[in-house]
Amino acid sequence: MAASWQPDFEQLVDEHQSMVFSLALHITGDRGLAEEIAQDVFLELDRHLAKIASPDHACFWLRRVAMNRSADALRRRRVRGIGLWVEMDENHGAQREERSSPLASRVEQLLATLPEAQRAALVLRYQEDLTPEEIAATLGAPLATVKSHLQRGLKLLRAKAECQLKEYIRGV
Amino acid sequence: MDGLERELSEALARRPAPPSLKHKVMERRSRERAQRRQQRMEWFERLAASLVLAGVAGGAVIGHYAVERRKGEEAKQQVFTALRIANHALEQMNAQLKQQDRNLR
Repeated sequence: MAASWQPDFEQLVDEHQSMVFSLALHITGDRGLAEEIAQDVFLELDRHLAKIASPDHACFWLRRVAMNRSADALRRRRVRGIGLWVEMDENHGAQREERSSPLASRVEQLLATLPEAQRAALVLRYQEDLTPEEIAATLGAPLATVKSHLQRGLKLLRAKAECQLKEYIRGV
Repeated sequence: MDGLERELSEALARRPAPPSLKHKVMERRSRERAQRRQQRMEWFERLAASLVLAGVAGGAVIGHYAVERRKGEEAKQQVFTALRIANHALEQMNAQLKQQDRNLR
């Protein structure tokens, strides 16, 4: 069945644009850059379309390339000395209005302060609902490392949340 | 899943892609494809030109060798002719000497 599957590029863009864009957005924190990354990811998909064997493979491939491209973009920006998440307030003004809970917005801001590897693991866990095994496969990292990133990321986030969100909730 | 994880799931929910994203992707895709097609054409043109050039150069080399070989053959024939003439002259001289020798006896 997988051999007879013919990938339809336009359909793949339709199906996965939200996922690819959101991954890039949650990793970089820059809407414009996330859109650029999403475009690049889909163009790369177009170049590799012959190698895509099934819809699941397409989804896995897109997740993996989106994560790699986002990490590359962060690295490039870091080299140039631009802090992406520092500008989050300006860039995400519109985004926050879309969100149902202002608390979630605070959590996202806290998430932005985590180390990149922990953030990547948490984004795949909570945006894509992936298991640690699937995250390890997507990031090409050992399972133990991914589990450690998830645990440490959550612990760090919890610690930060305890300090900052309590004040926020009290304020609300 | 505790409260923080629930908030995290909510914070990290998928966002809709910008409406222009698909259009931009399709536009860039057709531009890239045209560019790739053009590059492939240029590559074929270069390959064809290289093949023609290699053919011309190969032909010139082969032609040059053929001319050289023909010249060599001509020179060889001339040498053989010269040898034949010399041989003939020597035979004549030999016959005359033999005749003189017989006359002297």
